[in-house]
Amino acid sequence: MPEVPLITVPGSRPFSRRVLLTGLGLGAAGMTLGLTGCAPQGSSRTAIRFVQNKREVIGYFSDLVDRFNESQSEILVRHDDSPVSLVAQMVRGSYPDVACYNYNLEASTFLGRGMLSDLSDLPEAATVQASVQDLVTQYAQYKDQTNVLPFSITAAGVVYNRDLFDQNNVEVPTTWSEFTAACGVFRDAGIIPIYGTFRDMWTVSQGHFDYAAGGLLDVADFYDRLRDEGPSVGPNSETSFQKDFAKVAERMSELFDFSQENALTRAYPDGNAAFANGEAAMYLQGPWAIGEVNVINEDVNVGTFPLPMTEDPEQTRARVNLDLAVWIPNGVAHRDQSVTFLQYLMSPEVLNTYNQENLAYSTLENAPPVTDPRIQGLQEAYTEGRFYQGAGTYLPNTIPLQNYLQEFVIDREAQPFLAKLDTDWARLSQRTDL
Amino acid sequence: MSVAIDPATVSAVTPERARRQKDPKESYRPNWTTTILLILASLTVLIPLYFAIAMSLKTAAEAASGTGLSWPWPMQFGNFAEAWTLTDFPRAFIISLLISVVSVAGAIVLSSLASYAIARNWDHRGFRYSYFYLLAAMFIPFPVIALPQIKLTAAVNLDNPLGVALLHIMFQLSFSVLLYSAFLRSIPHELEESARIDGATTWQVFWKLIFPLLAPMNATVGIFAFLASWNDFMMPSLITADSRLQTLPVVQNIFQQQFNTEYNVAFASYLMAMAPTILVYIFAQRWVLSGVTRGAIK
Repeated sequence: MPEVPLITVPGSRPFSRRVLLTGLGLGAAGMTLGLTGCAPQGSSRTAIRFVQNKREVIGYFSDLVDRFNESQSEILVRHDDSPVSLVAQMVRGSYPDVACYNYNLEASTFLGRGMLSDLSDLPEAATVQASVQDLVTQYAQYKDQTNVLPFSITAAGVVYNRDLFDQNNVEVPTTWSEFTAACGVFRDAGIIPIYGTFRDMWTVSQGHFDYAAGGLLDVADFYDRLRDEGPSVGPNSETSFQKDFAKVAERMSELFDFSQENALTRAYPDGNAAFANGEAAMYLQGPWAIGEVNVINEDVNVGTFPLPMTEDPEQTRARVNLDLAVWIPNGVAHRDQSVTFLQYLMSPEVLNTYNQENLAYSTLENAPPVTDPRIQGLQEAYTEGRFYQGAGTYLPNTIPLQNYLQEFVIDREAQPFLAKLDTDWARLSQRTDL
Repeated sequence: MSVAIDPATVSAVTPERARRQKDPKESYRPNWTTTILLILASLTVLIPLYFAIAMSLKTAAEAASGTGLSWPWPMQFGNFAEAWTLTDFPRAFIISLLISVVSVAGAIVLSSLASYAIARNWDHRGFRYSYFYLLAAMFIPFPVIALPQIKLTAAVNLDNPLGVALLHIMFQLSFSVLLYSAFLRSIPHELEESARIDGATTWQVFWKLIFPLLAPMNATVGIFAFLASWNDFMMPSLITADSRLQTLPVVQNIFQQQFNTEYNVAFASYLMAMAPTILVYIFAQRWVLSGVTRGAIK
């Protein structure tokens, strides 16, 4: 690769274009330097960078950061909300000082490789519900450290239209047979029981696949066993998708049948619009969809219940994900200041208020119950610890679950669908630690 | 479509008069098949453009529920203001523009110099091999070397827009050298020889003779380099460390999330980002078209 200085235009003879180009080049360099120099300076406050870029709540966190900055004079937090890859920052070594980020399998690789600092000594670590903290370790664990503190949980189940339920005298179902009966009532009344948006495969992955799996089996335990099985996963192994997920696939197929005819060609925004306009009684989505539905129609009367998969109401579980979790990387320059800000975020007033106002569940012990009627239906399952992280979220992107799901939605052949997941899992665990 | 003209009549009138007389004759015979095909073809551009403009003027509720075809009323010009502040438009725009300008200038200067050296020294093995070496870079897509590049640029303090511009130049180099060297072969050696006889140095030959002759190819290379640089998402998003120095395509990514669909604000922002390219195109379409097709043939 050629040397850097080649960009400056060589030669000393007058040549207008060359002068122009040189000028532009120098201008660009100067501009870069000028803008980089804009960092807070001159004051005695320690500046730290706080990464948070969940679109819906950027404004909320900006206010939070402003309030923190006003409340003390030691630390100046800069809220970085740019939608830029964390991986690049980690590779470069330009770590954020504090991050409040979606915690998923991808983010867990930072933890698993020991890039995040240990927070177990902080008093805040003890305030988090144990069952919620377990969600972190279900993806990854580094030694016996606590590197990530859960900040916000979104719980998902069946979003339903209360008015349609009342008009058709349908009670919120607590068992699978009640649920199918309810779907039958709506279908007979000419209302779509469950609006399907199969064009966006993530909706099937987080909806049908995760709900059916989470309702029927212990997902975390299943993946523990699957990891132990490793490369030997196959049709004859003790644990496999083909064995453990046979019933799941069957239920998924039944759920597909309760959707409208054109579900294959409908995407997530279509689903939101249709549900907002009362075309469907139920919708397999989380609270993020409720916000979108209310943008279209403020008056639609929405509730949520966990999808029952068995005949025992005590077995009904909600799908959760760690929507936001806070962590501090190893080797940040101002660890003490970063910890102070993290403690501010984790304080019950800040954390509980955020979750109450953003359709989410608090992660703390003894948190007040949610008050928003749109998601209250999941409170019982959440309090009793009946929740799971979606089965689809345990699979790395190298296993194209959504493509396989698309095929399954169309041809309904459970056996080849599950066999493909098994082969992929076995092959992948041969060369990497899953 | 050739019109036979009697040489005698042509010589009798001035060239201008001849053209004026010819014109009406042609316009009487419109080619309806072609016209209809072209109208249909133009719709493939105009309809999406209509969608974009209509969407950018809708409210959030209209954007999520209505059809794409309906025209919003009253129009929501506030979307543009919101997009403007959300993306910090002026700053991102200036950064984008600087990166594009530097990479266009760099691509033109660097690749024309390299191609001139290579094309005129084709008998030397070293130059020939360096040509193949440069071309080989066409087979290396950026994602393959993204992570090493991130580390490298950070190590030499180029994790900023200038580094992005440099990388754009490098990635544009192979294709541009290919275009230039093919074109350079069609420039006769005799021109250079006569300049040499007049006492010009190699440097002078290049800047005073070859570079001006390369003008059409400069336009082609410039257009390709500009589009690649202006539209690039991945490289700036990974290379630039300071999030306040990001380019337009990167800051606009904020509108594309899985769960929320703010199409109205997103499209307002996209239109603002498209505006300079469209304006340049309107004024320079003659060169753009000839430039693009020239690239296609080689």
